[in-house]
Amino acid sequence: MPGMVSNPFSTRHTRPGSIAPLDATGRPVDLDVLLDRLHGFGGTAAIVGPHGSGKSTLLTHLATCLERDGRRAPRIRLHSWADIPAAWRAIHRAAPGDTVCIDSWECTGRLVGGLLRILARVTGCHLLVTSHHRVGFPELLQCTTSPALLRSIVGGLPAHGLWLGKVIHAEDIDQAFANHGGNLRESLYELYDRFEAAASPIQCVGGDGSIDHTGLTGIYRKIHESADGFSYVGAPERNLG
Amino acid sequence: MRLPRFYAKKRGHRRTGSREWGVVGDGLFHGALLLAGMCFGGLLVSGVAAPEWRINHEFRETTGTILAKGLAKTTVADPPATVITNWRPCLLVRYSANGVMHESWSHSTTAINTSDREVALRRLSEWALGTEVVCWYDPASPTMVVLQRGYNWWLWLLSFLLPGALVLIGGTGLVRVIRAWGKSEEHRAASAGISELLDPLAQPALAAPGYPAVPICDDLVNSPGTVLRYRLPIESPESWTLVGFGLFALLWNAVVVVLAVGAGLDLLGGRIDWWLFALLVPFLGVGIGGITLFIRSLVFATAVGPTQLEISDHPLLPGGRYDVLLAQGGTGTFQTLTLSLELEEQATFRQGTDTRTEQVVVWRQQVACFHDVSAATDSRFEARAVVDVPNIAMHSFTSAHNAVRWRLVVRGTPERWPEFCRTFPMVVFPVGVDLPESASRSLVVHTRTPSQEVTQ
Amino acid sequence: MTTATDRVPSKPKIEVQFDRPHRQHEPRDTLAVRYRIEGCDGERICAIEHSVLWYTEGKGEEDLGVHFFQRVTDRAMMPPATTAGAFSTPLPQSPLSYEGVIVKVRWCVRVRLFFDGSRDFVSEHVFNVGHIPPARMPSARA
Repeated sequence: MPGMVSNPFSTRHTRPGSIAPLDATGRPVDLDVLLDRLHGFGGTAAIVGPHGSGKSTLLTHLATCLERDGRRAPRIRLHSWADIPAAWRAIHRAAPGDTVCIDSWECTGRLVGGLLRILARVTGCHLLVTSHHRVGFPELLQCTTSPALLRSIVGGLPAHGLWLGKVIHAEDIDQAFANHGGNLRESLYELYDRFEAAASPIQCVGGDGSIDHTGLTGIYRKIHESADGFSYVGAPERNLG
Repeated sequence: MRLPRFYAKKRGHRRTGSREWGVVGDGLFHGALLLAGMCFGGLLVSGVAAPEWRINHEFRETTGTILAKGLAKTTVADPPATVITNWRPCLLVRYSANGVMHESWSHSTTAINTSDREVALRRLSEWALGTEVVCWYDPASPTMVVLQRGYNWWLWLLSFLLPGALVLIGGTGLVRVIRAWGKSEEHRAASAGISELLDPLAQPALAAPGYPAVPICDDLVNSPGTVLRYRLPIESPESWTLVGFGLFALLWNAVVVVLAVGAGLDLLGGRIDWWLFALLVPFLGVGIGGITLFIRSLVFATAVGPTQLEISDHPLLPGGRYDVLLAQGGTGTFQTLTLSLELEEQATFRQGTDTRTEQVVVWRQQVACFHDVSAATDSRFEARAVVDVPNIAMHSFTSAHNAVRWRLVVRGTPERWPEFCRTFPMVVFPVGVDLPESASRSLVVHTRTPSQEVTQ
Repeated sequence: MTTATDRVPSKPKIEVQFDRPHRQHEPRDTLAVRYRIEGCDGERICAIEHSVLWYTEGKGEEDLGVHFFQRVTDRAMMPPATTAGAFSTPLPQSPLSYEGVIVKVRWCVRVRLFFDGSRDFVSEHVFNVGHIPPARMPSARA
């Protein structure tokens, strides 16, 4: 496929669910330990952390683990009050023992959040939520960021062995982290631009043919030509690659 | 104690930094608007609208006899030395209210005070003594009687429209600020439910029939050109700035006028309300600032003049050549006037409550550049140019969160004014396919070049 | 004819074959795809979905438009009765594949296997429609 260029920092590869959950030092989070802790809390807990610190990613992976253990874990992402009915329906429809995973719990506010908790008690389901601050749930994990974490995330992106150190260097990653005050999402956007800038001389619209100045076309192609993976019915995230 | 930063950092295309002061200012501004709207509305409703509504709905009908008539005289001091005298026709009516006979001077909603005594006498002569008339009395206060009913619609409009707008703008803004205070970005957007529903930007544009993800171009071909086939609609932020400044100046100064009238009446009555005056001074300053900004924008728009683009065909096709007419109005001289063809990408990402939109111009070609252009008052500057769409160009594309847009951009540098930029969106269809009816004509090829073109 | 093979350790493998060299198609071409499923002997498949769609990739949310969709529930057309399948569809006139800077438009074929229970497996294979060359970063233009 001549001319195809894929960027490993695109939202497809960096959105929650696509990145393995890592702790602040960049080491993989032991999901089994977290699940044991969650069970210790009675099944209801909150993942707390600042903007862009990996809360949604961790939530997605924990939900996947719960489903792999044969439990139902419907996932709801709240953007605004308009999404609260969906959360209500999910809790209402949940069976006893299910874990309803709600991203951005603070969107509910105190009153609606309280009502949702009461509904969860009535239905007998558990709640696993993410929030920027404490919301009255037991705290499962406090997410923090570090340059090491960003380096680990970048090191886990598709075909990293082909471009890491050649197109994106360690200093690029540290610089992006520093530029955005530890916000991983914004750091990844900056790295997207850096990667795109490195790939750009390949060809341009309005040009007269395919010119590969860098020899990177083959590398980029390998990143996205095909992908596969498991997903689960009702999962809001597509789980490819 | 750490005070919030007044400034914001710019990182790439985005701004970051502390926004506390901005929120404080936002809250004060909307709070002032809300307060002004409530006070103004309260005064109008209690003083005008409510009494009139009661007369038309709650007063009971009866018949009465006119016993006497005369003119009511009121005097108002008009500093420094004169006194204004107003006259109003009044009728003494005998009528029955709840089985009890009353005699009372009528109050009329439509009687207008006039400073001309002759006019008042002519109005009074329309009523004859001893005649039986229909009248309406207040059941709560039977001595209150009127001989005419009806509404003064202007006052009602004023009562609801202006204060309503102030309350709406101020109230929604204040609620938004209060809900956002001290909360995370995600929590803040939770209150954006209604605005989201009303947000047209959240909806993907309509696709051309048979062309998935290619935007429809009906809105771009419904205006014929004077020389060429179509006149392209402008997408100029300056116009919205002008409208915004105008609305702000209008609303704010309406509040100032109300406050000033209140203060003036107090002065006439020999009282000085220092709180009102203290409030009036900053309001007056902001009002004058608003008017200044509006006039400056208006003068800028007038001096620079409108920009018009006409094109020989639309939608465009890759590899096509299109004749374009650039017309620039105004009275001054432009150091440069450039016309460019641009391809812009736009991507929007939502994570939680964070919505992030980024635009990048990925391709730009200067079509024409004119130097030292003079536009006279009686005739606009006109020039022709040829736009070549690259034969391997991407077509226009739009989806819910992403877009690829083509546009012609006119950038000008007036001699005495800041630079301006006006964009004219266009739609480019995929090449080598059947065009819809509006685009099925053969491409018009033009070889004419603009006479004043310097670079291309 | 081009071939793409995806392999997930101890998981299903779906091999997809396109009918055009380099997976390069033109608008309004007929896209014909054949596929073969391997590695899911131990699990029972209850449905297979075929789809041809475009999606966006880049710095924005992923938008997608499904051009062709087919759900197969006939047991005779899925493993273990048969491990092969095929489908075809005429491609639309737009959108064309585009490699922009922050917006990329890609076409792909997806084959999704639904196993008994709530699990499914999806395999995605990208192909090109049209010949739009990639855009490049504005700063890269000299």
